[in-house]
Amino acid sequence: MGQAEPLLVQQVLRRTDQSLKKGLEEILGTEAWTQLRGWSKLGWPQNNPIVVEISEDRGSLLTVVKALGYYLTSEDGDLLEKGVELLSLIVARVPQEKLNRQSARVLSGFFCGKLEDSATLKPALGGLVTLAQIPTLSPAEVGTIVDRHVKMKAIVQGVRFEVFSIIDSLMAFHRDVLKSMGKHFLDGYIGLAEGEKDPRNLMVAFAIARVILIEFDITLHVESMFNILFCYFPITFRPPPNDRYGISTEDLRLSLRRCLNATPSFGPLAIPVFLEKVSVGSRTTKKDTLQSLASCLPVYGPALARVSARKLWNALKLEIFQPVDPETEEEALKTMQILVKIIYADEEAAMESNDDIQGLARDACEECIQILKEPEKSQAKPAIKILCTFMSTTPSVSRYTISQAVPHLVRLFHDPDEISARAPTTFLLSELIASARDAMDKEPSLKVDPPLLPFKDEVIGVLTTGASLPATRTFALSGLKALVSTKGLLSDEELGFIVHNADQIIEKGADYGDSSEAILDLLVAVGARAPHHLAEQTLPLLFGYLPDKAPLRDAAAEREKCWLTLSTLRSLCLLPDLFENMVIRLITKLDLISFPYAAKPLALSDDPEPSAAYAHMILKTLAQCLATKVNKKHADVSKYIDRLVPSLFNIFVASAFISDEGEMIATDPRLIQVAGEIITLVVQSLSPQRQQAYSVGLGKALRSGDVADIASGFQKIASTRKLSLFEDTSSSAQKNILSLLTAAVIPLDKEVRLSLGDIDKFLDSLLTWVLEIADTDLQRISALRMIASILNKHVDELTSFLKNKLDVYWSERVSGRTLATIQRIWAIKSWTWITKGLLVRKHPLAMTFVERLYGIFDDESVGWEAAKAIGEIPSTDVVLTKANRAEVKILFVQKYAGSVLPEILAFAKDSSNPAKQTASLVALTSLIKSIPRAAYAHEMPSLIPLLLRGLDLPDAEIRGNVIDTFLAAAEGESPEKSLVSEHSVTLVNAMLRNSKVGDMTSTRVRTSALRYLGILPSIVRYDVLHPYKSTVLRELADVLDDPKRSVRKEAVDARTNWYDFTYGRNNEC
Amino acid sequence: MPAEIFNPNPVIFSAPKSAGRLSDLSAHSLWVNDPSLSEDDEADETEPIDQDEIYDLIRSIYDPEHPNTLEELRVVSAPQVTVGTNRITVEFTPTVPHCGMSTLIGLCIRVRLLRSLPERFKVDIFLKPGSHQSENAVNKQLNDKERVAAALENPTLLDTVEQCLANAGARGGHL
Repeated sequence: MGQAEPLLVQQVLRRTDQSLKKGLEEILGTEAWTQLRGWSKLGWPQNNPIVVEISEDRGSLLTVVKALGYYLTSEDGDLLEKGVELLSLIVARVPQEKLNRQSARVLSGFFCGKLEDSATLKPALGGLVTLAQIPTLSPAEVGTIVDRHVKMKAIVQGVRFEVFSIIDSLMAFHRDVLKSMGKHFLDGYIGLAEGEKDPRNLMVAFAIARVILIEFDITLHVESMFNILFCYFPITFRPPPNDRYGISTEDLRLSLRRCLNATPSFGPLAIPVFLEKVSVGSRTTKKDTLQSLASCLPVYGPALARVSARKLWNALKLEIFQPVDPETEEEALKTMQILVKIIYADEEAAMESNDDIQGLARDACEECIQILKEPEKSQAKPAIKILCTFMSTTPSVSRYTISQAVPHLVRLFHDPDEISARAPTTFLLSELIASARDAMDKEPSLKVDPPLLPFKDEVIGVLTTGASLPATRTFALSGLKALVSTKGLLSDEELGFIVHNADQIIEKGADYGDSSEAILDLLVAVGARAPHHLAEQTLPLLFGYLPDKAPLRDAAAEREKCWLTLSTLRSLCLLPDLFENMVIRLITKLDLISFPYAAKPLALSDDPEPSAAYAHMILKTLAQCLATKVNKKHADVSKYIDRLVPSLFNIFVASAFISDEGEMIATDPRLIQVAGEIITLVVQSLSPQRQQAYSVGLGKALRSGDVADIASGFQKIASTRKLSLFEDTSSSAQKNILSLLTAAVIPLDKEVRLSLGDIDKFLDSLLTWVLEIADTDLQRISALRMIASILNKHVDELTSFLKNKLDVYWSERVSGRTLATIQRIWAIKSWTWITKGLLVRKHPLAMTFVERLYGIFDDESVGWEAAKAIGEIPSTDVVLTKANRAEVKILFVQKYAGSVLPEILAFAKDSSNPAKQTASLVALTSLIKSIPRAAYAHEMPSLIPLLLRGLDLPDAEIRGNVIDTFLAAAEGESPEKSLVSEHSVTLVNAMLRNSKVGDMTSTRVRTSALRYLGILPSIVRYDVLHPYKSTVLRELADVLDDPKRSVRKEAVDARTNWYDFTYGRNNEC
Repeated sequence: MPAEIFNPNPVIFSAPKSAGRLSDLSAHSLWVNDPSLSEDDEADETEPIDQDEIYDLIRSIYDPEHPNTLEELRVVSAPQVTVGTNRITVEFTPTVPHCGMSTLIGLCIRVRLLRSLPERFKVDIFLKPGSHQSENAVNKQLNDKERVAAALENPTLLDTVEQCLANAGARGGHL
């Protein structure tokens, strides 16, 4: 049917006038009409036949009008409506150039004429909407259109929308004509717009009103415009659900606000309205009013602001001193700031002394300072907030405020009767200094002296005194920091003096731990401006606190102090010079600790662990500092390949050699790990050329154990002495050094050639070494990391290596049952790392390697290991990263999840092989933990039952993973659409079971279970969950007595959530 | 909330920076580690409920009169909590001696502890001696089981209590 119509219409138009008329009659008389109207709603297709006919000059509007003749004049309302509508539809679609001046005149006259009749009103308006957009319309026609007064109250909102659209278009295309109509037009429009309620129409009306207010002469109409606009303020409209026009409260609010602040002439009328709304309104009204005030005040101008200052201040004061919520308070402060700015901005040039400040700023300041006489009281905080906002008004006001408030606070601080109030006084002073600084930073263009300049000495005096007293220390330090970071305030000498004071606090020691963060902040702020003060004063002091020998095992306080000192150094020494200083000092220290008896092993009586822990702290400090520097892209990191890295190798290799004779500190795997982190960070920062040069020595060390090229430092290593990394006779300590070499290999660029001979063979020998010779996990993991990294970067040369793995290694080492279980487990881990290296670069063989693992899921000794490997393969690690220049393709995890997840799900649902089915659950839980939520969210409905089964597996780690998955899934849940709702009984019971210390020994699982239990009330509907409320509360009462504090905390929170869980509460959120 | 405000401008104290749990400091391990790596999961030493833990439970309860917590107003403090084997005593200090809110504050503390502590504990809540003009009456009311139960039957009162407890989970931090 739909296909046939255009044809019909076409035929009709091709006929002679006579038959055209008949044809149109046919259209209007048949069902086709209904369909045409249907189109019109959706918008006629551009290639509509009638329109095409006219555009291509085969027909004209005139012929259509002629043809419609009878319909356009009929007495029968029904026919008439059809005719006018068809005409208006055609007019809307015809290209604008076909509507010449004459036809526009005729048509507008015609449509206007049809406005009287209620039957033709709607289509006629539709026609006018089109005509109003035609630029060729003459002023006279515009006048005719405007003059037609439609009775807005009598028509529905959709039709009223047409009226507003006509005015809107006229406003856009014929604004000057409307302007020239003056009062006449305004009266008419005000009549039209009055009483409009529909949000969609209001959006248009507000837009029109803004133009009128700004461009038209409204002198005579201020009051009526005010009335038709302010009657909507404040907007309380709430959009109905599924509103198809999508107009939000905020949209209306903003477009109304653009009217309210369109003209200064609203000012005197508006202020009383705002004042009334702010004092009696709800929270949202208050906020809206305050925001509107803030946007209107600058338009209404300084004169009005001055007149209304007192009233406004009284209203705003209330919102600041007794705020309903922090948001309102902030809005009120902002409005306050704007008010003050308006009042004083244009007089700025005339303000010469503080006496010139009169009126609001002076009064408000005095009032606040009156309140600040009791700095310890709760009202002092809002008072200082007001003064703080004055800082970012005008320079003269902020100068005046400082001149009033600062001496007052300084006086209070020194007053012997107010000693107890010193802490809050210091706090208030610091807040004020910080705002003064922020205000200056915000407007760097203002080249004025910091307003604090005249009071600098007094303030420094108060704050340094404050910093020396424990009660006021933290506040005073943050005040000093604010001073230091104010541009152009302190001289270099004064900075030195402040550093000196901070150092004194550190020196006095005892209780500086409490304010260590504040001291650090202060010193960092000084460091940013004058690092030499730190280098000269603070660093020597701090290094002095690091003993050459580790604190003994039971000296916890001293150890704490060492760590505190090191943490301070870590944050201070980021700048190149300071960092270099620190590296030299710490390496020396590390050497002293590692070799207390000059190249001899430790005496038997020594307790090595505290020393090792101390050395670990030092290494950790270096590593963390370097990591921060790398994040900040400091260029000096790479030079430490010549300083720090060789020294580290020197210390660790020398220790490994000496340890053949007895125990050494620097053989501890934990130390080696951190040293490895440092080496990786430095090698990462090198250019490929520099890496190539470095790799020569590295290759030598790997091939022959000769470290001469990469190690140099205080310890003498005989040049004949070689590391034996790979022999089964060598000591564990020597083999551990592989970890450091790996750390240097993994960041190498793929262009860098490590001279390892036959790379294929080298990797194979490493794999064998892992299974047969390596004796610690550190060694095995390091070897596997090296393999994965090399494989990832050079896979193209390793085709036969991979083929060999699939053909031989798999059957001999992994699936074959000849090796011991522990060896097979390591073989699976090797498999995992090889696969990782392939997967991240989306190598085609990666999935072949993965699929092999499915085959041994039902192996009774290593099945679960293979299953866990499924999750470990896509998990993130520190080796195969962009920073290490590994070949990483985007979305490889998503691709992996996309192919593995369905397989695992299928296995888990297949009950024919129970062993495999259970292992699949293990694989599933491990997989879900390492892939992003989006990758499995769509499978959630079928995953949930499986995960619930996973909760019954005996392995605590698996249960923990399952609960974590539920926790992650809960983030997007709400009571209205909850996936877990139907499983809530099972979930509640399972979580309760896993939260009791008697049934579940792992603390981690207990806390997770309780956390999930606590979330349930917020994601499941009340009517579903409330039957369990009493059970949960009763059972949780026992968990409150858990031996672990962290578990008890979660239990309390969960139980609180269930207590609060009452009807209606969770539906609101 | 009653129209009368008993103390319109109370003194606000800055929260002392928590020095950490004493037992934690002494047990501090030799090794520094990133918190993420700490694996004390299987260590089976028990951590008994102590003063700090009770204080953590009640410090962030809101004062019924002000948007401040009991901690900020120094109504409660850690040393004012004593923990015995199965007995806990909490002492609190109203901001002014004529404070009519004392009973309500005490009730909030009681409800919070009732919900958060194992049943084996008996909890006594007292005003700091000499801090309130009708000290005995308030103490009596707070430690009378029947009267507490009756008070909690009153929906308006319970609602006020719930509002004061809304932030209690913050434990001195921010929710």
